[in-house]
Amino acid sequence: MFQRRSFLLSSAAAAAAGLTAFKANAKGLPLDIEPRGTNGILERLPRVDLESAQDFMTGYRVFINQELNRAAMTRCNEILKANGIPLDAPLSMEDTVKLMAPDPTMGLYIHNWENTQRAMWATVQVEAHKNADAYMDEMDGAMKAGPGSLELDSKLVLPPYVKHEIHIQPGGYVGDPFAGYIYLHGQNVVFSGGNFQDNAQINFANAVPTPADGKVGRVLEQGCSIGQLTMALKLRFPKAEVWGDDVAAPMLRYAKVLAVDRGIDVNFMQQLSEQSKFPTNHFDVVMNNLLFHEVTTEGARGIIAEAYRTLRPGGVFYPIDLFTGSAKPSSAYSQFRAWQDYRWNSEVWRMEYTALDLEGEMRKAGFIVNEKGPTARRGTDRNVMGTKPA
Amino acid sequence: MATSKSDLKGYTTDFIKSDTDKAVFLGNPLMDDMMTALINLGAETWANRRRVKIIEMLFEKNGKISREMVEAYMPTPEQEKQMQVERDEFIRTAFGHFARGATDIVALSTLNPTSKK
Repeated sequence: MFQRRSFLLSSAAAAAAGLTAFKANAKGLPLDIEPRGTNGILERLPRVDLESAQDFMTGYRVFINQELNRAAMTRCNEILKANGIPLDAPLSMEDTVKLMAPDPTMGLYIHNWENTQRAMWATVQVEAHKNADAYMDEMDGAMKAGPGSLELDSKLVLPPYVKHEIHIQPGGYVGDPFAGYIYLHGQNVVFSGGNFQDNAQINFANAVPTPADGKVGRVLEQGCSIGQLTMALKLRFPKAEVWGDDVAAPMLRYAKVLAVDRGIDVNFMQQLSEQSKFPTNHFDVVMNNLLFHEVTTEGARGIIAEAYRTLRPGGVFYPIDLFTGSAKPSSAYSQFRAWQDYRWNSEVWRMEYTALDLEGEMRKAGFIVNEKGPTARRGTDRNVMGTKPA
Repeated sequence: MATSKSDLKGYTTDFIKSDTDKAVFLGNPLMDDMMTALINLGAETWANRRRVKIIEMLFEKNGKISREMVEAYMPTPEQEKQMQVERDEFIRTAFGHFARGATDIVALSTLNPTSKK
């Protein structure tokens, strides 16, 4: 439906910003900055050298995830053996770090991983800020354009827990005006180039279970960031009113750019998912993706409670995250990787999430929990789902 | 970084900065800097090599070349696949040694050739 390879469009403002090869826009965006056109639904990066640098990081990340990861895992087992510790012995995070962190192979692995993570964001951030006026104009234009809507709340007080530079993205989701643009092109490296067409989000949307009565008139994605899943939900449920909420205005502003550019009628609202403005018994389906491991335990409980409140009786709650479809890993190497993610990838709330009994919290909120719901994440054969009693 | 309207309030807020950019993973900050430089050079080298490849392909096809043609270049799926193979070979050639880990290594202080029986 969205497959296109085209060269769109722009205005004098963008051209003045130093971006080349623009034409006039025939689509919904008053200003559409895609000087090198699109690859399917993905707006290509604006310079071939930038695209190539990201391409290198993509390939290098695969090298890290495969070959350096294998070397680190082997080394981890050797360290355990040298210290007389059985490979399956339960180790605390502190003990794991004490054993592993000083080793050069482990240090090399973390350096490479974190270095490429920083580079994939920074490359795009520098480019966006070089052309700040043009990209700001694009987002300003999208805010007023349709289809769909965007409601920002300039008076919203953000709790500190949402202000971290998660994934070490510079400025996090709230501190850089181009956070959405940076996120989109950075995460394409993380997905090894396999998510150019929002493939993961489309798969997740297609996995969402529907209420027993089959009625899906309103759908919500909590913590929607740049709305890739929100848009995929609209494709899955074209007749439904689909909403995405998030605390981060820069992410939502870019979500609106993407939605208007693609002509998808979705609505975005800036708010805390745990304190939403949506009415009680309103949605047929509420879901979220990789949200819980980015929030405090208190935040997670609030988000579950809000999902319960806003779902109508019989409505379905479908969260997708680490461990929603798999057991929590316990090996020393997985502990080490979890620590790396928590400590150096700025996944500040990951350990709290790991300790959280998500299914138990869903039950406490009132949900009927099915731990063997339809699978979502690759490599899993189930995913938790909750139903609000009818 | 050049920002102008991007500093407008209302869309951004203060944030809590990570300290990962200050981390030393290799025991010596200079070693970390060297590693960072190597990876950045890898990205620059690949960008140049990919540009040359694109120029060659365009010239072969059209008999002429311009900067606009290079920027607008869209590889076919087959060309994309081939370039990924070349990229991965480049990475393995340049950086593959990092994957040997600390196993099967011979210490500098080993007095005699290990092959001597």
